[in-house]
Amino acid sequence: MTPATTAGILGDFYEPADAVTAAARVRAAGWTQFDFLTPFPIHGMDEAMGQKRSWIPWASAALAVGGILFAQGLQNYVMVWDWPLNFGGKPFFSWPAFIPITFEAMVFWSALGTAFIAIVAGKKDSVPQPPPMTATGATVDRFVLWIAATDPKWDAAEAARFVASLGADHVRLVDAEGGTHA
Amino acid sequence: MTKSEMSPYATVMDDSQLTGSPIVLAGAGPYGGDLAIAEPLVTGGKRWAEVDRDICLHTEQFPTRKWWLAFSVALAFLSLLVLALVTLFYTGMGIAGVNQPVSWGSFIINFVFWIGIGHAGTLISAVLYLFRQQWRTGINRAAEAMTLFAVACAGIFPVIHLGRAWFAYWLVPYPNARGPLWVNFNSPLAWDIFAISTYGLVSLAFWYLGLLPDLATVRDRATHPWRRSLYNAMCFGWNGSHRAWRHYESAYMVLAGLATPLVFSVHTIVSFDFATSVMPGWHTTIFPPYFVIGAIFSGFAMVITLMTFMRGYFGLKNYVTLNHMEDMAKILMLTGMLVGFAYSTEFFMAWYSGSEWEGFVFKNRAFGPYWWAYAIMFTCNAIIPQLFWFKALRRNTWVLFVVSILVNVGMWFERYVIVVTSLHRDYLPSSWGMYALTFWDYAILFGSFGLFFTLFLLFVRFLPVVAISEVKGVMDPKVARAPQGDRPLVVPALQEVRS
Repeated sequence: MTPATTAGILGDFYEPADAVTAAARVRAAGWTQFDFLTPFPIHGMDEAMGQKRSWIPWASAALAVGGILFAQGLQNYVMVWDWPLNFGGKPFFSWPAFIPITFEAMVFWSALGTAFIAIVAGKKDSVPQPPPMTATGATVDRFVLWIAATDPKWDAAEAARFVASLGADHVRLVDAEGGTHA
Repeated sequence: MTKSEMSPYATVMDDSQLTGSPIVLAGAGPYGGDLAIAEPLVTGGKRWAEVDRDICLHTEQFPTRKWWLAFSVALAFLSLLVLALVTLFYTGMGIAGVNQPVSWGSFIINFVFWIGIGHAGTLISAVLYLFRQQWRTGINRAAEAMTLFAVACAGIFPVIHLGRAWFAYWLVPYPNARGPLWVNFNSPLAWDIFAISTYGLVSLAFWYLGLLPDLATVRDRATHPWRRSLYNAMCFGWNGSHRAWRHYESAYMVLAGLATPLVFSVHTIVSFDFATSVMPGWHTTIFPPYFVIGAIFSGFAMVITLMTFMRGYFGLKNYVTLNHMEDMAKILMLTGMLVGFAYSTEFFMAWYSGSEWEGFVFKNRAFGPYWWAYAIMFTCNAIIPQLFWFKALRRNTWVLFVVSILVNVGMWFERYVIVVTSLHRDYLPSSWGMYALTFWDYAILFGSFGLFFTLFLLFVRFLPVVAISEVKGVMDPKVARAPQGDRPLVVPALQEVRS
């Protein structure tokens, strides 16, 4: 019996190579709302799943520019405009002295922003996931295929047949209310 | 097929079977010749599920008596630090050894020392990552934690050195009611504030990003609902989604790319504190590379010290193997030679520059009243690591441990030599003087080790000390995979569709 609130389906693979092959077949079969839950990132999985290169580096670059502008703005505002001090007749706009802080601010903005954005992007730029804390074994040693029930092709029985046909072990439907909670 | 038929790695059980040379498989090459493959990074024929158990177990049990003993000692030294700082702030800087002419004393020495210790962690996590050095996976988590705690120790020293520590917030440039009175951005001391705080926070972000998947592993092993919820919140609900891994890996690469120049910039800026002054012995262009390489050298020594303990006490000898230790020994020897080269270059330049002051300072360094400090420094840093030309010594953990301690001592004395010998005899012989650490200097120095080890012991108590997900990624799937159909860890599903 299929519950009315099925969130999707899970199926286990045991080796990264099998998971990559399966991912390519899932994609070729026309599923779009699917994901692989894995203990570590797998080479070739992005291509197999049809994912483009991450856009994170663009965000990092934008943040780096922000950090540079912030540091240059602060130092020039303070040293040239708001509180100019005469050190042995040296120019107020002593730009070489501003380089270290500009560099540090660039790294600071870019690195902290990148870490934050990557964590948020991992959640938002994704497909519907299994209910929180579903024990899939994917943090241990399983490479778990997940097809969300929101997929346009979704049909529980068809999905189960398909996932089993990929050679997945332990194929099971997941209840949206958290039926697989520990 | 047995595991050993599937992979030659399945038969390598412990250090005794590692040679540090490739495994040669006769006739396994593409045209029937021999095939040389690297020795496994993880020994013991481990499965992925066993990695979780081996590395998470110590966070799930009541700590051992050894841990409590070590923690008590660390806490005792931390108490000493607190006592010394309270006394120092209450009484005043007069109880420390600094005075004219040596107005930069043990606090600056300790500051540079601890910042230097931190650099190896970033080098292992970022630089070795960019160079695809997969052996880093066994040691990077602990080394990065070491970085964070070393930076925490380093951070207190400039504040003490201010003299009036309660005005430390004046160093932060923000619009204030004191004028506004801004910091002087032309000063390397102001650069330091930015460099150290950026370094500490970026290292923290990098370390925590690496921790996310492992916190999820700890969560999934947890039996108590509170523990599950706590670790779930700490890993932001990580579930191993490959759509999340895609961004995660990209961000990790970006952070490695940013941390690499950062680690070089931080000690460069620390060296600017000295190099931009007009003191003979400090005012040299060699200082930035000299400081950076010395920092990496001392940091690797500390990693070896910590790893020697950790692989024994936490049963990590399968993950931090003798090959890892040998690799670190090689880096230690290389950086030791670079440090020795820098010492020699300084002497050459003192002579070649023709500067009378510079020449005097270096003669005074090696043969003046502080000759013993210079001798300790040169012996420990430039001569003793030469032992590692011999493979048998690189693979002897006792030798490694003793050398790593000596290098730490030597590197502390390097900073002592730089700070004290340049200041104690400057241009005016009438203002020459000597410098000695007082009881309170020693209390703060040894107390800072108490702070470091307290933080480190808490880290090993509560968090996975090896990067589980990264280690899993460098293991041979043929050996490490779960047996078909075995599902000890999978919680009962709603509905079994097949089998």
